[in-house]
Amino acid sequence: MRSSALSLALGYIALGMTALVLFAAPLWYAWQVTIQDGRSEILQADAQRLADIYRRDGGDGLKSFIDARVHMQIANDRILLLTDLSLHPLAGNLPVWPPQLSAIPGNYRIKVDVGEHGVQQSLVHVARLGQYFLLVGRDNKLFAPLERRFWYGLTGAVAVLSIAGLLVGLITRRALMLRIHSIRQTVSAIIHGDLKHRLPTHLSGDELNTLARTINGMLDQIELLVHGVRNVSNSIAHDLRTPLAELRSRLEELSLMRPAPERTFAQVDAAVADVDRVIHIFDALLRLAEIDAGMRRSGFVPLDLAELAATAVEFYAPAAELKNIELEFHAEEPLPAAGDPILLAQALSNLIDNALKYAPEHGVLDVSVRRRADGAAEIAVTDNGPGIADSEKAKVLERFYRGDASRGTPGVGLGLSLVQAIAKLHGGTLELSDRNPGLSVVIVLPVGERSAEPRGAEGSAEAPPAPLPETGSAAAR
Amino acid sequence: MKILLVEDNERVRQFVIKGLQEAGHITDHAANGRDGMFLAASEPYDVIIMDRMLPGGIDGLAIIEVLRKAGTLTPILILSALAEVDDRIRGLRSGGDDYLTKPFAFGELLARVDALHRRSQGVNREAPLIVGNLQLDPLTRKVTRGDRQISLQPREFKLLEYLMRHADQVVTRTMLLENVWDYHFDPQTNVVDVHISKLRQKIDAEFERPLLRTVRSAGYMVTARD
Repeated sequence: MRSSALSLALGYIALGMTALVLFAAPLWYAWQVTIQDGRSEILQADAQRLADIYRRDGGDGLKSFIDARVHMQIANDRILLLTDLSLHPLAGNLPVWPPQLSAIPGNYRIKVDVGEHGVQQSLVHVARLGQYFLLVGRDNKLFAPLERRFWYGLTGAVAVLSIAGLLVGLITRRALMLRIHSIRQTVSAIIHGDLKHRLPTHLSGDELNTLARTINGMLDQIELLVHGVRNVSNSIAHDLRTPLAELRSRLEELSLMRPAPERTFAQVDAAVADVDRVIHIFDALLRLAEIDAGMRRSGFVPLDLAELAATAVEFYAPAAELKNIELEFHAEEPLPAAGDPILLAQALSNLIDNALKYAPEHGVLDVSVRRRADGAAEIAVTDNGPGIADSEKAKVLERFYRGDASRGTPGVGLGLSLVQAIAKLHGGTLELSDRNPGLSVVIVLPVGERSAEPRGAEGSAEAPPAPLPETGSAAAR
Repeated sequence: MKILLVEDNERVRQFVIKGLQEAGHITDHAANGRDGMFLAASEPYDVIIMDRMLPGGIDGLAIIEVLRKAGTLTPILILSALAEVDDRIRGLRSGGDDYLTKPFAFGELLARVDALHRRSQGVNREAPLIVGNLQLDPLTRKVTRGDRQISLQPREFKLLEYLMRHADQVVTRTMLLENVWDYHFDPQTNVVDVHISKLRQKIDAEFERPLLRTVRSAGYMVTARD
């Protein structure tokens, strides 16, 4: 079975072994070279001593010296052989001249059958002394245990590395499989439609946990959206049914009654108005969906909130006048921000329109734009109408919700949720608060540091205030 | 006026053609992009109405881009079922002159076609506008009716200017919202009507002959005709 944890462990084992070999090989080499050098020096010294004896006592003297040494078995790791020029052994502990060894003076590394110790890898030195060939050497018996220990050590290290690595790999894999299994279970529960499930998270901040938290965040958002969609489709079903039902009965009645042309046309006009209502609801929903999807960020440009509000106030002023409502406007300075001018204008228009609807005759409506102490921009629309009960405050932001006060007034109950969606798109919030009497609806928009700077110097120039593309994109993120 | 309609939906096509003909226009029509492009490139038209989504491999925006590259200056009105603001911007950027979202009221379409045609006639933006005895000077920003000077608020001035630039044509509420207030959404109230009646009080109230008229279920018109 393929497993990333296991492959990782195997990879690490291979890496560890490579490191071990890379460490041991030069050591081994250096050791071998040093020992060999030392031994060949010793051999040369040996040969030199025997040569001295030869020079002093002649061939017979050397022969008897060698015989004596072999006889005494002074050092059983030594190889000694004296031959005549036809390599016929005269003295020493080797029965024959090693067949693979040529009779040329120098150092050689050969395998020699040393009798009681068997065949040994040995370093030998060949010298010619007058009418004789001398062969001295030492077998490796002395160093064999050391070498063996070296190899045991290396093998042991490799074994420990492999087993430990494999164990760690298996344990990691098991732990990983356990966590992934729980994630898989959660995800398959979600696939089957239960969006309430969340991935298990621990306090630790490891990668998997961070991922799980991110995925949970995503699931929260998805659940919210799905919930919203579900709500909206329920509401659509309900809210579109009403005008459609009216339309249907109107048309059916026309078809059945066949009234006089004049009345027929009046009914047809009313039917067109019904259709327009349906279209308006659709438009509002589409726009909400568009805003929810966050697609409108591309439409962000630098703008002046104060100017936007001034236009909206001026737009509604005649309507307020008609209802004898005092419409006041307060704005400090230009208040630059980055946003979608069309949507922000629509939000403002919705708020003022709402307030005008609910403000009493001779009421007061106040629109104010200001920068708060924390730098955020605040657009407040305050009326002295009936206000909204605390219990209803959250509900009025829901789509299609229409409070008791709004019964009998035109509208589809999307106004405030649209404003809220627009505020959210701009990274802001919508706040409702009581004014006793009345209601204050406040859009709070964070204003980016740079776009918060007043245009200052540009103000005196004749040219219309140029857009600030940099601040726009910075604040639009 | 000679108008080309490129629209694949037969019902919409017949409805629009019939309406345009009743309004006294000569019409050609095509049901797909290929025929539409052929007609647009070979015949001179005053206005082209182009559906955005067309069968036949070439969509409306592509045709508009080709026509513009070929040097056609004919004003083009884009019809589209896509209502999002980005779509609108993309449509206008491709070379369209105005954008109307389906479903639409025929009065809206007709008013926009007229306005497009008027705009393409190349008017002098600085010359005084005169309707009957009402005169508006865009340079001095003075408005007079007969020998009386009328003082208007800046927005009222803009409103009247737009209406007078389209004198004898129906101007819809949506057109006013877009062009006078730059509002590309429907405020769902009769606020435009209130503005108009305020303006009407200033320019018509004390005169026998009203110049600013309401056109039933369509919009408004400034005219000196009967």
